[in-house]
Amino acid sequence: MPILNRRLWRMVAAGKGQFAALVTVVMMGVLVYISMTTAYYNLYNSQQTFYQQSRFADYFFSVVKAPQDITNRIETIPGVVAATGRIQKDVSFLRPDGGRGTLRLTSYKLPLGQQLNQPVLLSGRMFTGYSGGNPEVLVDPQFAKGLGLKLGDILDIVAEGKIVHLKIVGIATSPEFIYPMKDASSIIPLPGEFGIAMLPYNQAEQILNLQGQVNQLSLQLVPGTNEYEIKKAVDAILAPYGNLYAYPRDQQLSHVVLKTELTQLKVMSRFLPFLFFSIAAGMQFLLLGRMIRLQRSSIGIMKALGYDNRTITAHYVSYAVLVSFTGAMLGTISGIGLAVLLSDTYAQYFYLPTTIGGINYRAIVYSFMISLGVGASSGLLACRGVIKIQPAESMRAAAPVQGKHILLETIPWLWKRFNSSWKMGMRSIARNKTRFMVMVAGVSASVVLLMLGFFMQDAIDYMMEQHFEKEGRYDYLIHFSSPIRESDLGYWLQWSEVEDLEPILEVPVSVTKADSNGVKSDDDLLQGLGLDGWMQGVFSPSGIQLAIPDNGVLLSAKSSKKLKLVVGDHIKVKSKMDLGPGHTMTLKVVGISQQLMGGGSYVSLQTANRLLGESKLLTGVMVNIHPGQAAAFERRLGDLTSISSIVSRNKAESNFRTLMQSAIFTIICMVIFAGILALAIAYNASLMNFNERKNELGLLRVLGYTNAEIRGVLLKEIGLQSLIGIILGIPLGRWLANYYIATAATTDMYAMPAVIYPRTYILATVSAIVFLIAGFWLITPRLKRLDLVETLKNWD
Amino acid sequence: MDKPLLMRLENVSKQYHMGEVVVDALQPSSLDIYVGELIVVLGPSGSGKSTLLNLMGGMDRPSDGKIFFGKQDVSAADEGELTNFRRQQVGFVFQFYNLIPDLTAAENVALAASLIKEPMSVSAVLEEVGLSARAKHFPAHLSGGEQQRVSIARAIVKRPPLLLCDEPTGALDYQTGISILALLRQITSTVGSTVIIVTHNTAIAAMADRVVRMRSGIIAEVTSNDIPLAPERIEW
Repeated sequence: MPILNRRLWRMVAAGKGQFAALVTVVMMGVLVYISMTTAYYNLYNSQQTFYQQSRFADYFFSVVKAPQDITNRIETIPGVVAATGRIQKDVSFLRPDGGRGTLRLTSYKLPLGQQLNQPVLLSGRMFTGYSGGNPEVLVDPQFAKGLGLKLGDILDIVAEGKIVHLKIVGIATSPEFIYPMKDASSIIPLPGEFGIAMLPYNQAEQILNLQGQVNQLSLQLVPGTNEYEIKKAVDAILAPYGNLYAYPRDQQLSHVVLKTELTQLKVMSRFLPFLFFSIAAGMQFLLLGRMIRLQRSSIGIMKALGYDNRTITAHYVSYAVLVSFTGAMLGTISGIGLAVLLSDTYAQYFYLPTTIGGINYRAIVYSFMISLGVGASSGLLACRGVIKIQPAESMRAAAPVQGKHILLETIPWLWKRFNSSWKMGMRSIARNKTRFMVMVAGVSASVVLLMLGFFMQDAIDYMMEQHFEKEGRYDYLIHFSSPIRESDLGYWLQWSEVEDLEPILEVPVSVTKADSNGVKSDDDLLQGLGLDGWMQGVFSPSGIQLAIPDNGVLLSAKSSKKLKLVVGDHIKVKSKMDLGPGHTMTLKVVGISQQLMGGGSYVSLQTANRLLGESKLLTGVMVNIHPGQAAAFERRLGDLTSISSIVSRNKAESNFRTLMQSAIFTIICMVIFAGILALAIAYNASLMNFNERKNELGLLRVLGYTNAEIRGVLLKEIGLQSLIGIILGIPLGRWLANYYIATAATTDMYAMPAVIYPRTYILATVSAIVFLIAGFWLITPRLKRLDLVETLKNWD
Repeated sequence: MDKPLLMRLENVSKQYHMGEVVVDALQPSSLDIYVGELIVVLGPSGSGKSTLLNLMGGMDRPSDGKIFFGKQDVSAADEGELTNFRRQQVGFVFQFYNLIPDLTAAENVALAASLIKEPMSVSAVLEEVGLSARAKHFPAHLSGGEQQRVSIARAIVKRPPLLLCDEPTGALDYQTGISILALLRQITSTVGSTVIIVTHNTAIAAMADRVVRMRSGIIAEVTSNDIPLAPERIEW
């Protein structure tokens, strides 16, 4: 039907702006859908491939030490496919600047064979077994980058009180170290402070003095087996060897971070396109409905000439389909571009050896199907009116618009206060309910996007404040490779750099309910702190700071949830520390603690010592130094061989800030998405409003209204709808932010509350208003071009 | 004429450019309009009477010639000045009433009243046009004659010195048309506005103080009625 096609193009050309606005919204939907699902599948597939190739373990156990052939016994447990034993220990390494960091030595048997958690070489060569020279190691890429290490470099570590020179022969990663974090309480990786070194088993047993022993076991399980039963069986086998703690893959740090990111991507890749497609559907429905009303007489003529309903409907639906098709095309092109950008960003976070890139054809096909489906169905819905049009009737003038009293008029004292242009606006809204709803939904959607964007900054700021200001108020947190006496610290206070220090005693424990005979237990870290200490802030789940109790325990929220314990209950804690016989003690729960990251249960230093049958033992120390003394202090630490790890708050904080800059990218994206949506919706609504009220507006000009006053008339209607959209959008955004945090950002390890600062509400509202006004402003040139004489003639 | 001059048109002409065709809608014409008189502009379609009305009302600018309202040169006014001229000095009544469908009768009148500092009261004006009882009705619920009365009320609420009516009875039946004309005549004395009625209905000429006849874009003849007929006695 070439004539109707030609007419279609003319309709597009006559309403270029509106066509562009619709195409843009569809395009945004497709853009977001393609880029996010592509990024998701790329990341997910690389993860899965890597996990499979490297045989990532399902369960991890730590013991003090056990003979290496213990794996044979574990492999006899039904449900266990394979068990690998290894040595893993944190030692300190010497940085070129004289400072220290933590290196996690992880051993592998040669040849690698069927071992679990195999390293994958990224560059260099595999290590060889004992060869007489310096032990050969592979290091993780972030660590190598952070310290500027090259192949062939020598890295000095302190192990078992001796300095050992390690030769770097390759850069490698493993499924455990995709996102290498030291422990659950480190908020982010610290490439210059913490790293992974992979080395042959026979080297590790020499360096760490563990001949014939292993201290970690990784298990691969038959899919779908009861993990709890297996853990019990393994625990029984390991009991004589100082069974420390165990965790499933779901609590493995690197895996948790990657999984969280994947969940977030998945949630967003569904929610955002849904938003854009819904708005696009509403806008297309409105536009086509209006087009059909305006073209009543043309449709009547077509019918009179003998065109059937189906042909005419197809003609108008093809407009919507054209919008969808154009939007899908543009969205696909830009979506592939954004997918590359997103994948690059992820590549900076996660070191995956096989990055599966490329185009996700399925996402493209789905995009076209969804957008064409949305276009065609909203078009068909809008075209129902075509069928009703009778040729003879349609060529007469349409019945005039019927003004109606609205609900607000029942409050006369209020109604009286509005001038005519407000009344016009409000009655026009009441008359065009669908348009009103689409406009309100569009504005709400863009406010939601703005809130989700800006709230990320709140989350970052909150994490910074909570982690670095409220919880950790020390300059340094230092752990020793084995417990020391408090008296050993005496000379630290004589160092001129040190202002103050507080000891800390950390004891890995298993927790059971006191009267439950140990049926259900949870692994926890008991942290003993000084009663008058202030460097470590302990908080309740509702954010109230708790004081360290003289007696009793501030139980971790994680254990309290798992064991269903509340304040007032008694717990039995059993030390798993590599120190004398396993002591137990009963403690009263006096409070529940929840740190932003990691954390554990808190007791007084004395209580922790009592558990071990000791009095003045400590495993770490928090230090505050005098300003400007960091370098000198770190040099002092460099001379000590008993230190296993050092956390410098300054470095962690600046590292965190740098890493979080990539969040700016997400925030900017969200603001751009929201801006485009608000602009398109305001432009479209204003234009429809203008076109429908052209005659009225012309009349007002004739009566002597100025251009500014006319603008005001239109702005009042748009403004009122926007206001309602913003008012609805704010709680909706708040709710979605909470939902997002709850589903996509909360794990066993991260306790992220949905914090929304007042500035986010203000920023979201102000930005939405700016974008809406900008959309409205695009139509103002039309107001100036209003032909007064012409509008009077067209009055009907 | 002993009445003071309200508006003077000096060799006013208007050309429209429709693509490459130039249409002479109004050829150079001159006319003096005095305070308080009722002028009927007669002519067939396309004779230029609507163009003349648009120029007098400040809706359009002449291609050549000058229009003075008092001492103000309306033909040289910019967009803002023209808007202000319409706002302060002119009332319009249209063939199809041009009421805002979303506003009630009273609100349509208030729409114009809100534009100037000291308008007449809305209720008084509706009383004047005999529509007090229908003040809260929307245009769609009013008859043609009632809508035209609202339109007149909207025009005179500003007490405009110049009231321009474009075929005010064109869409009305005979009886209603007569009553509208009577209302317009009454306004010249109660409000004191100069009323200009543009129509192709020659019978209406009988009620005018002066009659301007137009033909093919030019003022062909201006005549005075010594004794204008009362509108009620007009027949067509």
